[in-house]
Amino acid sequence: MTKPNHHIFADGDLKRNEGTLRIDTLDGETEYLPVESVDTLYLHGQITFNTRALGLLNEHGIPVHVFGWKDHYRGSYLPKRDHISGDTVVQQVRAYDDPARRLSIAEDFVAASIHNMRANVRYYDDKRGDFTGALNRLEGLKQRVCDDDRDSIDELRGIEATARKAYYRCFDTILRDPFELTQREYNPPTSEANALISFLNGMVYTSCVSAIRQTALDPTVGFLHEPGERRFTLSLDIADIFKPLLADRVAFRVVNRQHISIDDFESELEGCLLSEDGRLAVLEEFEKMLDETIEHPRLNRKVSYKTLVRTDVYSLKKHLIANEPYRATERWW
Amino acid sequence: MDSVGWEGDSVVQRYIARERDTHREPRVRITGLMMQYHEVCTRELWFFSRGVDIDRETSNIQRGTHIDETSYEGQRRSFSINGRIVLDMLDSGEVMEVKASSALEAPAKLQLLYYLWYLDEILDIERDGVLAYPAERKREPVELDADSREWVEESIRGVIQTVERDEPPELEKKPYCDSCLYQDICWV
Repeated sequence: MTKPNHHIFADGDLKRNEGTLRIDTLDGETEYLPVESVDTLYLHGQITFNTRALGLLNEHGIPVHVFGWKDHYRGSYLPKRDHISGDTVVQQVRAYDDPARRLSIAEDFVAASIHNMRANVRYYDDKRGDFTGALNRLEGLKQRVCDDDRDSIDELRGIEATARKAYYRCFDTILRDPFELTQREYNPPTSEANALISFLNGMVYTSCVSAIRQTALDPTVGFLHEPGERRFTLSLDIADIFKPLLADRVAFRVVNRQHISIDDFESELEGCLLSEDGRLAVLEEFEKMLDETIEHPRLNRKVSYKTLVRTDVYSLKKHLIANEPYRATERWW
Repeated sequence: MDSVGWEGDSVVQRYIARERDTHREPRVRITGLMMQYHEVCTRELWFFSRGVDIDRETSNIQRGTHIDETSYEGQRRSFSINGRIVLDMLDSGEVMEVKASSALEAPAKLQLLYYLWYLDEILDIERDGVLAYPAERKREPVELDADSREWVEESIRGVIQTVERDEPPELEKKPYCDSCLYQDICWV
């Protein structure tokens, strides 16, 4: 059973109150948060907290993701590991350092990512437009990833970028007007649709950080992305698989079902961003999506999307230490 | 080099020699849990030995821990020996192992026998044991005789063999796979 995430939007103090968490907001309200029932804590407001609060979160293995001004991701406080496994990290780095093995794992990421993009487009084919061209293109690119021999990660990244471009070109048609996506832009996002996708991609990324934390894998050593990047590159790798399954589907849902409107965004000099109400509405749908379950063919039970992120990481870890096949999550349902 | 011979029972003899010598570590440190896993599923043992993390917050584990922590309070004391095995000694001098259910009896018995064997072989302490299932109001006496000694030593060889493999034992469907903590790792 996975536990729910908890988001704090208010400004205030986060404290330890005996065995539980207590939040005193600047509005004068007090909320108690039973620490046993939290999977991951998200701080979106201006929150003051001390080492006593962190100690409690640590005891319960709860990661905290901190967001700053306009919900830009600031970083994470990750609890002390329960399991430390030098052996796992050694195997992970060995795989990274072996060009053939690294490439093969990176290919699994890209193939699954393209597969999942294509599944989204297929769902909207005929429903919101004719996507035959994009479907064929994505199919062809996935085949190239699986069939062709290559010796550079760069070439693989090129295919991934081409696929993502073809995929994003369908968004303008999928998203109900007046939402538009003519070009995917971030840092900062320049339109409402870009802002929405960026925000959701950030949530997928932090979900992957949490899932990786539950294993002894090192989040900084990725296979498709270069470890030199400032972020946790293994989380970026895994997030690419899950962006179409989680972020994009939530984006289509909130726009097409009109849970949010163009008024839920604020355009400023530095770009377009979701308002606080908009973020709340989107997060509600995102959390709902994480808890949705599907029948897993090999585990013989229903698993939530949140569990699916975790089992994907388990599968990768198993591949690294036991050399059994890695099965990157490709939508089967 | 160990002074003990390498022939015949050398694996077990070497293990005993290393454990007796406080300055040396055996290549594989065998815990009671590992003996249990060896009997239940060698694949589980392999993953465990590689530090593969599992979710210890499942209801089964919590129930087991709770039963272990709350049964026979005040009548037994826990001992940790060499940082290797943790056992419960009853006031009467018997070694007790508490289990939530008797469903997997052989693995529990092997774990307890290993403790008795360890006390005897490494520390020269002779003890009898008792397996307790408080939820079922059942107790079973366990003694270290020639047959059970052989079973323990055979299992020690098995544990070392499994742990030293480069790859895990092959996937195999067992009746209790669905309730195993490693289910998500094995079958995903």
